[in-house]
Amino acid sequence: MKKITKFTTDYLVYVAKGSPKFYGWLAFLGAFVLFWAYGNYRQLTEGMIITGLTDQVSWGLYLANFVFLVGVAAGAVTIIFPAYVYKHKALHEVAVLGEMLAIAAVVMCLLFVVNHMGRPDRLWHMIPYLGIFNWPNSMLDWDVLVLTGYLILNIVGGFYFLYKKYNDEALNKKFYLPLIYIAIVWALSIHTVTAFLINTMPARPMWHTGMMPIRFIITAFAAGPSLIIIVFLTIRKNTKLWIQDEAIDMLSTIVVWCLGIALFLTMSEVVTELYHPTEHSAGLSYLMFGYHGLTKLVPWFWGSLVAMIAAFVMLLIPSVRKDYGKLQIAAVLAFLGIWVEKGMGLMIPGSIPSPIGEFTEYSPTLIEIFNSFGNWAIGFIVLTVLLKGAIGVLLGDIKYAND
Amino acid sequence: MKKIQRITILFTLLAMPPIVFAETPAAPVAAAPAKPTVCFESRKGSSEVTQREIGEDLPNVKCSPTTGAVLWWGDPYDDTVPMGDMPIEADYTKGEAVVKSRSKRMTLLPICGVACHNGTYPPWPKDKNPRKLTMHTDLVPDSLNLQHGRGAIWCLDCHNAKKRNKFIDNFGGEISFDQPQKLCGKCHGPVYRDWREGIHGKRIGEWARNGKKRWFVCTECHNPHDVQHGARNSGFKKLAPEPAPILPKGLKNANHERHKSEASH
Amino acid sequence: MTDKKIPVKQPANQQACSGNPGSSQACHAPDDNISASRRGFVKNMGGLTATSLMGTAALLTNSDDAQANTEWAEWFQGNYRLMTDGEKAKAVARLERRYSSEYSKKVTVDSAPAKDGVLFGYALNIQKCIGCRRCVKACVKENNQSQSDKQETEWIRVLKMEKGEFTVDKMNDGYPGGYGVQVGGNAYSASGVVLEGEHYYEPKKVPEEDAFYMPIACMQCEKPPCVKVCPVRATYREPDGIVVIDYNWCIGCRMCIAACPYWARRFNWGKPALPKKDMNPKTHYLGNRPRMKGVTEKCTFCIQRVRKGRYPACVEVCPVGARKFGNLLDPESEVRRILAKKRVFRLKVEANTYPKFFYYID
Repeated sequence: MKKITKFTTDYLVYVAKGSPKFYGWLAFLGAFVLFWAYGNYRQLTEGMIITGLTDQVSWGLYLANFVFLVGVAAGAVTIIFPAYVYKHKALHEVAVLGEMLAIAAVVMCLLFVVNHMGRPDRLWHMIPYLGIFNWPNSMLDWDVLVLTGYLILNIVGGFYFLYKKYNDEALNKKFYLPLIYIAIVWALSIHTVTAFLINTMPARPMWHTGMMPIRFIITAFAAGPSLIIIVFLTIRKNTKLWIQDEAIDMLSTIVVWCLGIALFLTMSEVVTELYHPTEHSAGLSYLMFGYHGLTKLVPWFWGSLVAMIAAFVMLLIPSVRKDYGKLQIAAVLAFLGIWVEKGMGLMIPGSIPSPIGEFTEYSPTLIEIFNSFGNWAIGFIVLTVLLKGAIGVLLGDIKYAND
Repeated sequence: MKKIQRITILFTLLAMPPIVFAETPAAPVAAAPAKPTVCFESRKGSSEVTQREIGEDLPNVKCSPTTGAVLWWGDPYDDTVPMGDMPIEADYTKGEAVVKSRSKRMTLLPICGVACHNGTYPPWPKDKNPRKLTMHTDLVPDSLNLQHGRGAIWCLDCHNAKKRNKFIDNFGGEISFDQPQKLCGKCHGPVYRDWREGIHGKRIGEWARNGKKRWFVCTECHNPHDVQHGARNSGFKKLAPEPAPILPKGLKNANHERHKSEASH
Repeated sequence: MTDKKIPVKQPANQQACSGNPGSSQACHAPDDNISASRRGFVKNMGGLTATSLMGTAALLTNSDDAQANTEWAEWFQGNYRLMTDGEKAKAVARLERRYSSEYSKKVTVDSAPAKDGVLFGYALNIQKCIGCRRCVKACVKENNQSQSDKQETEWIRVLKMEKGEFTVDKMNDGYPGGYGVQVGGNAYSASGVVLEGEHYYEPKKVPEEDAFYMPIACMQCEKPPCVKVCPVRATYREPDGIVVIDYNWCIGCRMCIAACPYWARRFNWGKPALPKKDMNPKTHYLGNRPRMKGVTEKCTFCIQRVRKGRYPACVEVCPVGARKFGNLLDPESEVRRILAKKRVFRLKVEANTYPKFFYYID
């Protein structure tokens, strides 16, 4: 018990101390949180009427970010999987960083879900026994279940590893390895269930396709490691922890493959839907070409496509892939491209036209943007803190000192 | 004379609403509080009601502020009478089926059953053949070429020649103005059957088969004197619609859904 | 009037309150013990602090003490379907008191349950509909929807469809996109009249010559997708077939709005704007009682009327008698006769929802 208290205090003290650059970064993120607080105050008091959402498009920016971030959380498995299944040494060393990323991503997911709710004060209705959990009927309940489970798995797995490292003790493999393998499968499940959340609704033809889960997973495995590449390169630049080239190369290989498959799936869908357009293709055709002057989403689709193709082509070229300066650009392009594809490119056109054929347009309001940026900022604060602590342990800066 | 004119107008408005061609101006709904709100029930020119409170914080009707149509009945049986004998399963003499009485309004002028409004007693028509009308030409302008039935019938096939406040049945008997369906049903058999079964037409009140209902009779919706005028929809006159929904936030206009008519020119 | 006052189980203190709608003090009633055990349980849950605080924040915006207390008690109440009769009566009394004071009139909140042997069905003659939208507005008058320009809620939507025509001069008209009646063109580029509905048509008079109309509202499905997706069972199907929402249990996740193939559900984005004078004081707990912000609502076949025998408001207002309503279990009811005699179809049968709302033509 004493050890655990010591670990906690050592960890927190280490995390709290940092360079001006570190505080600057936190202050930068904190500025967004101020706007977030204002936005949330407005939304809680006035209701969601201050968002751009309507009865026609009732899922917007919040849920788009949610879906994307579930992907990022699942994407953390691109570190864990090669590290533990293929015994990839370079990744194995930093596998715990992936778990920290997953925790931060799930935290952001929860923030976005709370923002999406019309009555967040009634979330207790979902707690079994106190309220009613409509499980196994409701896909949302499945999603809550898998996301909570994933959060717990990563917190337990990650901090168990860090704690053992802190004490310089060997891991209990009988406990730790099953945890890791469960977490790997669980990572797939969170994004699969998120896909089921939207594709099990025949009311929304654009979503109602069996391709949705694999598209979700594959884009997640492109967006997740893209973010990890950026994070790793930042860590290499700013901390003493040297993440090996092999780790980064492995991740860029995963990104290129997954991005390629993602583009292939997009192409398959476009051809299937548009060769002989039916009612089923109305959403996609609105997204790609607009509808009689309603064209708000068109630039997003094409912009996202260009970004993804550019990232893919860049990553295909070995000299670019190995040049970590250019790799960063490719990773940013892939990340943003997929963010748009899943957000503005999937969640919104899924609601346009409405099930009875009404075309409308949606654009987020300032409040929605404040809250979304705020959620990302909080997520990055959590990520920064978690990574700093984890790196401290990995470097041996946080260590049990028997005094 | 002046009085008679006034009575004539009164009679036209109250007793013969179905043949008022000129639309009465829209009820002044949002007018000064002193002025009572008058709304029309089914179609303009047929029955009208004046808005009032009926207790329990409820009005007898709620009306559309834009078109003056009744949108909601607080009491569906307000100002009704039993429909009277009808060949249907329910016993309509016991008040389970009620109608808004027109004959009740006609009793304002009992004389009109037999005499003209100016008190003269015209000779009974010799036969049912079309002839130039000396009265009511404003209400039935094409009376010599009546479109209802396309020349096959004329006024006295429906109106009782000797009792002007009654219709006429196939045996020369009387049909009340409260039960025009018995008259219309003479020719429009299938529609009449549908109406009796509750498939055609409108009724308000209780949904249960034997529940109490106010039945809207034929002439409350259809005007038999202009059934085949142009620009109509199955005998139902065009009317002003209620306003469109407010556009959702993302839209400034609804041009995108009107592209078809533009594109075709 | 059919809707005679039903014997709502009112606690004694309710009288003082409703007789005195202006005074908030009189409405201070010690009836909040229904959820005492639940509240105690919640209070003991440390993990819920954040949630509870959020609730408090939302509640503190109400300056009126009695109202805040009432809403506080409402916040702790359980799912309506699982309440005992006693709890229901208390919840209803609490609401009647709050609404009466809020709208300055005697508001009744009905809790009449479904009757045995009744399954409600609806039939709409699509051949007769003239698109006048009186049903839409009648529904608003009856069901206490929000009526402001910022938040206008209508449960019925009427679509205008073009009829299409085959004429020589249209042979080469290429109509962009859409799905409709072919009037020319060729195998590679279609030309025709688009059958996508117009939602915002506003002609001087209806019906327009070249159009027909299609009103759409909740279909009260046998297999409602909205019910299946609800994470907390706030929406469910009653034994008489009406799909209802417990507005006090809804968490506002809008899964049901996304899942409904008929776009029948609406959301209270802000606090609904319901003018006092327009408020219909005859309400049902599961129907037209005033809603709060952040919850879903939809057509209930006017549950507050039909459970007491009265036709829904839209049926009564239809000037062409296109709307018919009745008991599907009664072979002699108006709807059953229509099903037997007329040509009937249901919207989106392929969605496998088994609507109890039928469209028909003569």
